[in-house]
Amino acid sequence: MKPIFSCSDRGGGPGSEYLDLFMMLPAEMSWMLDEQSFCHCCQLLLQWSQQLKDGWSWEGVQGSEDGYLRKTVLRSVVIDSSPVWDLEGSGSQSDTHTSCHSRPDQQGQETEQALCVAPEDGDSVRGDIDDDDDDDDDDDDGVCTVSGGSGQVLQYEYHILFSCSYGTPVLYFRAVTLEGRSLSLEEVWSSVHQNFRLRLQQSPLNTITLQEHPLLGQPFFMLHPCRTEEFMRPVLQAAQNQHRPVNYVLSWLSVVGPLVGLEVPLKYSTLLHPAASLGSTEPD
Amino acid sequence: MADDKDVLRDVWFGRIPTCFTLNQDEVTEREAEPYYLLLPRVSYLPLVTDKVKKHFLKVMKAEDVEEMWLEYEGTPLKWHYPIGVLFDLHASNTVLPWSITVHFKNFPDRDLLHCTSNSVIEAHFMSSIKEADALKHKSQVVNDMQKKDHKQLWMGLQNDKFDQFWAINRKLMEYPTEEGGFRYIPFRIYQTMSDRPFIQKLFRPVSPEGNVHTLGDLLKEMYPAALPNDGEQKRYQVVIHGIEPLLETPLQWLSEHLSHPDNFLHICVIPTPTD
Repeated sequence: MKPIFSCSDRGGGPGSEYLDLFMMLPAEMSWMLDEQSFCHCCQLLLQWSQQLKDGWSWEGVQGSEDGYLRKTVLRSVVIDSSPVWDLEGSGSQSDTHTSCHSRPDQQGQETEQALCVAPEDGDSVRGDIDDDDDDDDDDDDGVCTVSGGSGQVLQYEYHILFSCSYGTPVLYFRAVTLEGRSLSLEEVWSSVHQNFRLRLQQSPLNTITLQEHPLLGQPFFMLHPCRTEEFMRPVLQAAQNQHRPVNYVLSWLSVVGPLVGLEVPLKYSTLLHPAASLGSTEPD
Repeated sequence: MADDKDVLRDVWFGRIPTCFTLNQDEVTEREAEPYYLLLPRVSYLPLVTDKVKKHFLKVMKAEDVEEMWLEYEGTPLKWHYPIGVLFDLHASNTVLPWSITVHFKNFPDRDLLHCTSNSVIEAHFMSSIKEADALKHKSQVVNDMQKKDHKQLWMGLQNDKFDQFWAINRKLMEYPTEEGGFRYIPFRIYQTMSDRPFIQKLFRPVSPEGNVHTLGDLLKEMYPAALPNDGEQKRYQVVIHGIEPLLETPLQWLSEHLSHPDNFLHICVIPTPTD
């Protein structure tokens, strides 16, 4: 079966560097990305990121054409002494035949101190709607509103790789303190926004687990890709119906990124659809 | 074929004689004797080393004990790789028993994944099976199974029950006759010569023209350096389950018979020993 997703240059004319994504729906009704299209989507995202100063870079793997998108973000957190949300209580590690796979075992994870990482709370949404193009995104910092306790700066590192098994992008990430101490899985879970945490736990659309990075060989947290095709399907279908161009990687990232504190500025959409916005900058 | 079934058994029951020694920097109340164990090639270290842990804990104080990790000649051993793969990759051509050093402190969390319970191993194992089926059958076979079938695969591995495991696993090894094989072959090629942990890409068992792909075809596409040039001495060994299959072996056959229980064909490329 041929992969159904392809990017191709239209060639010539202003705006021609925008790639039209010709979407062909195969009989099996599944949308899969092939590696070449993944790379094209990443290169586009990279160009837009450079315009928006959003901090993404492309890291190649020596001796091959493989690579991944990478971004690091500094975040300031306050140690919150309330107990970590009890993950054991979220129900059994039931693994129905439709679900992804068992959630990580969290035996007795009542740690003395939980890291409360600032996701945006309702009153202080930053990033997405902010118009601060001049922000250096390495200083992306929401600050938890819990009072008391000492502030700590964490460095999050996000990688976007391609999974040839699932035909989708995969998000890997890790977090370290400035002293170089790696965050544990429990600490990472506690940094996922309350609202998302509930959803992730109850319906394992994605699950965060510790995995070996396929290109670097080091431990990273990963959002499991096996459900990606399911939630991307309506997005891609709608785009096809409306004859809109879509960047698979960007759309996917805007869904999964926020789950783990990675913001995707709304401004990307103005670069994807330059005609739709007034007075937007044309790519050059 | 009766012969082919024997191969499945031989693979499942492969063992590696191993000697576990406590790291000499660990703090002990008295001297620790080494511990000898036959390790199943197809299993995972934390699943079969409870006895090792218990043995060394007898001579240690609780406060000196953190998460156990294992190391061979300075290299931390990745528990999430099948034991046979770790041996073939790191200690293939050395004198038996395999000498592994046991640590209870300074867990190298930049190199190793944590493994705090068997459910972590189970999750990893099932994740590999599902990924393999995504490649072989677009996940249709594994998704059509019931939860108890998934559990049976895991229990079969955990309890070393060949028949229990294969009662379910055989379904994952089927394919429509008209196709000639799986959609893609789940494989990983390991080598110690680069930072990249493994090579894993899409590869079909049969070409569009209907030619059966061999192990040699796979390597030519994915890792040509592993193959000897004409007339040249063989620089590398291509090892699966401790043996060097002929490069002419059909990949589909290898996938059906020499895969690990996780349904992946794990292939080690190691330098030929010069002695």
